[in-house]
Amino acid sequence: MLLVLSAEHRAHLGCLPRAGGAAIGELGRLALEQLRRGAAPRACETAARKLNVGVDTIQHGVEGLMYLLTESSKLMASIPFRKISEVDFQDSIHVLGFSDELNKSLLQLYLDNRKEIRSILGELVPRLPSYHSLEWRLDVQLASRSLRQQIKPAVTMKLHLNQNEDQTAQVLQTDPATLLHLIQQLEQALGEMKMNHCRRIVRNMK
Amino acid sequence: QRFRFCGDLDCPDWVLAEISTLAKISSVKLKLICAQVLRDLLGEAIEYDKILKLTSDAKLESGDVKATIAVLGFILSSAAKHNVDSESLSSELQQLGLPKEHASGLCRSYEEKQSSLQDRLRACSLRLSQLGSVRWRVDYTLSSSELQEVNEPVVHLTFNVRDRECEKMTAVPVTLSANKFQVLLAELKQAQTLMNTLL
Repeated sequence: MLLVLSAEHRAHLGCLPRAGGAAIGELGRLALEQLRRGAAPRACETAARKLNVGVDTIQHGVEGLMYLLTESSKLMASIPFRKISEVDFQDSIHVLGFSDELNKSLLQLYLDNRKEIRSILGELVPRLPSYHSLEWRLDVQLASRSLRQQIKPAVTMKLHLNQNEDQTAQVLQTDPATLLHLIQQLEQALGEMKMNHCRRIVRNMK
Repeated sequence: QRFRFCGDLDCPDWVLAEISTLAKISSVKLKLICAQVLRDLLGEAIEYDKILKLTSDAKLESGDVKATIAVLGFILSSAAKHNVDSESLSSELQQLGLPKEHASGLCRSYEEKQSSLQDRLRACSLRLSQLGSVRWRVDYTLSSSELQEVNEPVVHLTFNVRDRECEKMTAVPVTLSANKFQVLLAELKQAQTLMNTLL
């Protein structure tokens, strides 16, 4: 799958040939740091001074590289189809008209960091609330204002959920019969994993 | 195989795996580490540096130190949860492969703190809200915009309720006439009598 680079993107990356071999390493490192931790204007300024280029050019170069790496990692699958994605990457940057050496360094940068970039991108999905913990309590109601001498068991639960670092809690109460039904339904759900249909799909995914 | 300290269930695999790590530490040091873990379970601050010093002889990596603390925490709190006595705990730990001196050291620490642990676990049990305090005031209404001579006593109650989760106190004010208040008091006294029969 080929990447289509916009004119602006190509212009930003245009600073790379001028910067030279060592600079590519530096810019590559900055791009990866920006991916991991966010923009670092100070680091860009230092790099600009070291390489004797304008700060804006460096900034654009870093962003351009970062975008190139994330788009390539996003669209091109990894390991099983390795050969294909290498060729795709090379073809995609060929349009930039860089020297062979530069192309090779860019390819190396992509291959070295592809796995990490993919795992970072994987964490950006929106998340539903997920289970954190469950507190429970078993009570027996013996009497109330309206009726004495009762025996009414109840299970009170506090379900703690996590959603993107937000913790919420839901209080639920049920009688033992409903709780048993709930447990039975959940066990049936788990049991589905052992059915042939699920097994076949899981086998194919691995 | 069922274990009482695991609530009559199988022992979790990770606990089984860490028993061998525990055996690497000397039994004397293990008892001291237990004391630290018990402090943590009882809500006091744990002194991690002391634990690091105690495990340094056994040359445990940082992951192993954390695993040791986790497994000791599990054993002690689970035994307290299921009200296992120290003898049974010792024999069950030996069945899992923990050497005798280690097991008896551990169980002696457990025995000392068993009832405090259980009190602490009881206090931490699920509880939705808790009454902090009650304040009251009795007023006498002389007159109002509706009726010139009212002449009635009135009780103001403020219940301070603590939400278990955010440790926030909410004030719930209630105003009652004398009759309503008497009904409330009578009902609450009946509830109290019922509670006393259970204590």
